[in-house]
Amino acid sequence: MRLQVFFRLVVLVVIFGFADMVSAQKVSVEEFTLPNGMQFLLVPRTDQPNVVSAGWVARVGSVNERPGITGISHFFEHMMFKGTNTIGTRNPDKDRTFRVEQKKVRDQMNQLVLSEQYERYRNGEIDDPWDSVNDTPRLKSLRTKLDTLIRAQQGRGKAGPATATIVKDEFDQVYTKAGGSGMNAFTSYDLTCYFITVPSNKLELWAWMESDRLNDSVFREFYSERDVVHEERRLRTDSTPTGRFQEQFNSMFWASCGYAWPVIGWPSDLNSYTFEQAQVYWNTYYRPGNLFGVVVGDFDPKQAKRYIKQYFSRLDPGSNKLPPVVTLEVEQLAEQRMNAIGDFPPTIEIRYHTVPAGHVDSYPLDMLAEVLNERTGRLYTTMVEGRGIAATASASSDTRKYAGLFSFDGMTRGDAVPEQLEQAWYEELAKLQTEDLSERELRKVKNRVAASNYRRLENNMSLLIQLAFSEALLDWEEINEGPAKYEAVTADDIKRVANKYFKETNRSVAIYRRSMEQVTAKEAGK
Amino acid sequence: MRPLAGVIAVSLLCFSQVFAIPPRPEAIEFQPLEYTPPRAADFRRMLSDGTIVYVAESHEFPLVNVSITFKGGGSLDPAATPGLASVMARMVREGGAGDMSPAMFDETLDFLATEMSVSAGNTFTTARMNSLSGNLDESLQLFVTMLRKPAFEKQRLEVVKARLLESLKQRNDNASSILAREWKAMLYGRNHFEASQPTASSVEAISREQLEAIHRQIIHPGNMIVAVSGDFAVEEMLEKLTEAFQGWERGAVAPDPKMPEAVLVPGLYHVQKEIPQGKVVLGKRGIVRDDPDAIPLLLLNEILGAGGFTSRLMQKVRSNEGLAYSVRSILSQRINYPGAFQATFESKNPTVALATKIVLGEIALIRQQPVTDEEIEVAKQGLIETFPRQFESKPTTLQVFVNDEWTNRPKDYWQTFREKVRSVTKDDLLRVAKKHLDPSQMAILVVGDWEAIASGDLEGRATMKEFFGGEVKHLPLRDPLTLEPLPLD
Repeated sequence: MRLQVFFRLVVLVVIFGFADMVSAQKVSVEEFTLPNGMQFLLVPRTDQPNVVSAGWVARVGSVNERPGITGISHFFEHMMFKGTNTIGTRNPDKDRTFRVEQKKVRDQMNQLVLSEQYERYRNGEIDDPWDSVNDTPRLKSLRTKLDTLIRAQQGRGKAGPATATIVKDEFDQVYTKAGGSGMNAFTSYDLTCYFITVPSNKLELWAWMESDRLNDSVFREFYSERDVVHEERRLRTDSTPTGRFQEQFNSMFWASCGYAWPVIGWPSDLNSYTFEQAQVYWNTYYRPGNLFGVVVGDFDPKQAKRYIKQYFSRLDPGSNKLPPVVTLEVEQLAEQRMNAIGDFPPTIEIRYHTVPAGHVDSYPLDMLAEVLNERTGRLYTTMVEGRGIAATASASSDTRKYAGLFSFDGMTRGDAVPEQLEQAWYEELAKLQTEDLSERELRKVKNRVAASNYRRLENNMSLLIQLAFSEALLDWEEINEGPAKYEAVTADDIKRVANKYFKETNRSVAIYRRSMEQVTAKEAGK
Repeated sequence: MRPLAGVIAVSLLCFSQVFAIPPRPEAIEFQPLEYTPPRAADFRRMLSDGTIVYVAESHEFPLVNVSITFKGGGSLDPAATPGLASVMARMVREGGAGDMSPAMFDETLDFLATEMSVSAGNTFTTARMNSLSGNLDESLQLFVTMLRKPAFEKQRLEVVKARLLESLKQRNDNASSILAREWKAMLYGRNHFEASQPTASSVEAISREQLEAIHRQIIHPGNMIVAVSGDFAVEEMLEKLTEAFQGWERGAVAPDPKMPEAVLVPGLYHVQKEIPQGKVVLGKRGIVRDDPDAIPLLLLNEILGAGGFTSRLMQKVRSNEGLAYSVRSILSQRINYPGAFQATFESKNPTVALATKIVLGEIALIRQQPVTDEEIEVAKQGLIETFPRQFESKPTTLQVFVNDEWTNRPKDYWQTFREKVRSVTKDDLLRVAKKHLDPSQMAILVVGDWEAIASGDLEGRATMKEFFGGEVKHLPLRDPLTLEPLPLD
């Protein structure tokens, strides 16, 4: 009895509380654009005193690539830390000479690999045209020459430190000394974002450093940095239990659009980028009209605007037209399945093609995922707790700039097999397609969504990242307008999208099974 | 040269004052940023029952954060039941509260959009709540009920155990988890709580009685410090807390964690895993947090391998040679017993030896020659300039004070921190490097495909034979469920 009274009281408080909150939740952003086209979003706030989180976004990601240059957006992210004619060298002329000579050698190497070595590969003589173990004598001598040039530039050659023109990782050093922290960048399908937190009195330094690298990056270490990216690929993809399988599933899922290749790129492409390709990319996508900055934290907006004008106005708008992303995803006509065996627990992922970010159906699809998720969500109550066939089960709606997907993931428990999770998932779907959500269930999910939209604004860096994604995919205003759109979703909307997108012909299923070699004697004996 | 540069600068100034850009970042003049760290005493209050509460108002968002830190965690696990404290913590959150069933409890929280979590670490257990200020009273009541009267419902315990069992099965899937597990065992001994691991049978054996016993030992006002920040009035909040804790029995403070008895045996160790990239950790036991050398070592570690791209390891191994994506050194400090100093990295199989050689070479070098003026300056400035970030938000500030009180950190530690950093010299760094980073006391652990790793790189720059006279101890992989050693191939 006591509980019930308590419950009703709660309902009242919450419904009033949220209605207020949704309307009150506004991030006040000052937006302005420089004459060269670079846009800025400023959010002054004082709850975290003395620090400012600042970043900028290039509206480019792997979706803008094509076969042959996959991964170049991510490679650029690495290049952007390698300095300019001012940062990273004390002898820009001699350093340029090194770069020009390296380019000459590497161009010859690429030409040899793409002709002779690719031919040997096609003949079946060698298994990897890029691997140095397969070098012809000529290629080997060029490789040695390139290595000698790289070493001399770094001051690690036979002549010792005297030949060095590089000041190693000076970009990082300058920020470290000034109290910069959390300096990093990420590349995704649709955007590349560079960010850092600096003490409030160092905002001018940020403007200096970032406008310098946008104005004058020289792609130093253009050839040696590839080894680092290869190691990054080995770390994230090749040496993780599911990495390459997930990559393959992803490529199977997307038939035609630019989400079919991995952000880090295919290994062959990683080796092949030329300086000319990089420059075209740079002059097209890293022009101010395709960039925006975001500054969040404890700063004076008037002063910040002055610094921004002073420094970022030097960026040349350039003349290259932005090539539109043309290729749309084709309609999937038949179910696709992948069966993977390796060192991983029995799991299942089922994906469906949905809609891009901002599409009217994206809001009910997000809400649908919320209905399924968390400990009170339908997947936990039916699969984890009810039938006890899943150790974990979750759903997610991933809407990108040009297309979207919805996925269900589950890991089995005990002796259950992935096919049982698959059946259970279809049963959950059938319920969503035929039965209405109760008002209470919908309200609960809306409460949770509203609160989490709110909580993620608390921290400066988290707000910066939210603004980066909102502006790159849609418009920064989405951060203020989105919550009302979620609030407006009805039970009918959810039922409608459940029927529209979750069809058999629109799904791709990946089933992961543990390799029997890895199963222990105890399990095998069962 | 100079006059010419001057002329150019002047002409630029004349033409466009607005666009004058200093030639280098060092030329920018920064306004001084005065910063005084907050003092614990300004936030510390005591409730009538003796409970310590750190409290701070903050009204930007209508949210309230409550965090309660209890002494003890894995350190209190019975020898036969590693992971008990951690299961207890999960079950407090997931197993229902008072007379509410788990489902009812979760449903109520979700409807309120209140977040709660309980987790046990090695030496502390933490319970957190974040609620909208409008729902504070209901949320706080639910939170305290959950902590005081967890229901430990049977079916939920089965779910928690099942999830744990599934995760045990994955123990050998990822090379990094094998590396972490075996390294801890080498450092602290398999039976110390730093390294001890549950097995399938120890998980299955966990009973409700065991959960209740360890709950009684950890979760009570005699063993907790509270931190509250957010949208409320301080005095009102203290009253609410006093009322919520009323009648909650105070037990004794949990005992200090026990010292590890194992000693790291220097040498080269390997666990077999067929992957294209070898994972490496090398290092030795280190210092306690309050060691007088702690601050010089902190600076030394920044210069050697903790300072991101500016550090020597990153420059030599990643930036110069392209041998690894991530490479760093870590100085982990413990309160009651020495922590560890270690370097970790990964590299494609043939260059594991070369990367290891370079890392060991850098450790040797930093013990032979003083660091440069520039290096110590960058490291000091970095620590001093980022210092305010320790206190960047109210919840983080309060958590620092709670931890300090639990671990008896000297009261003036933060007030004098920057001065202590400033006073460190290059000689201090050389001295602590010699004292604490002796490579002959270190062990190297490699997880990867030994056949592809041992012979080293194509150019013959390094092989694994160079370390410890080429003598390698092959450690067995362990059965993921029983942790019994599997036969070596």
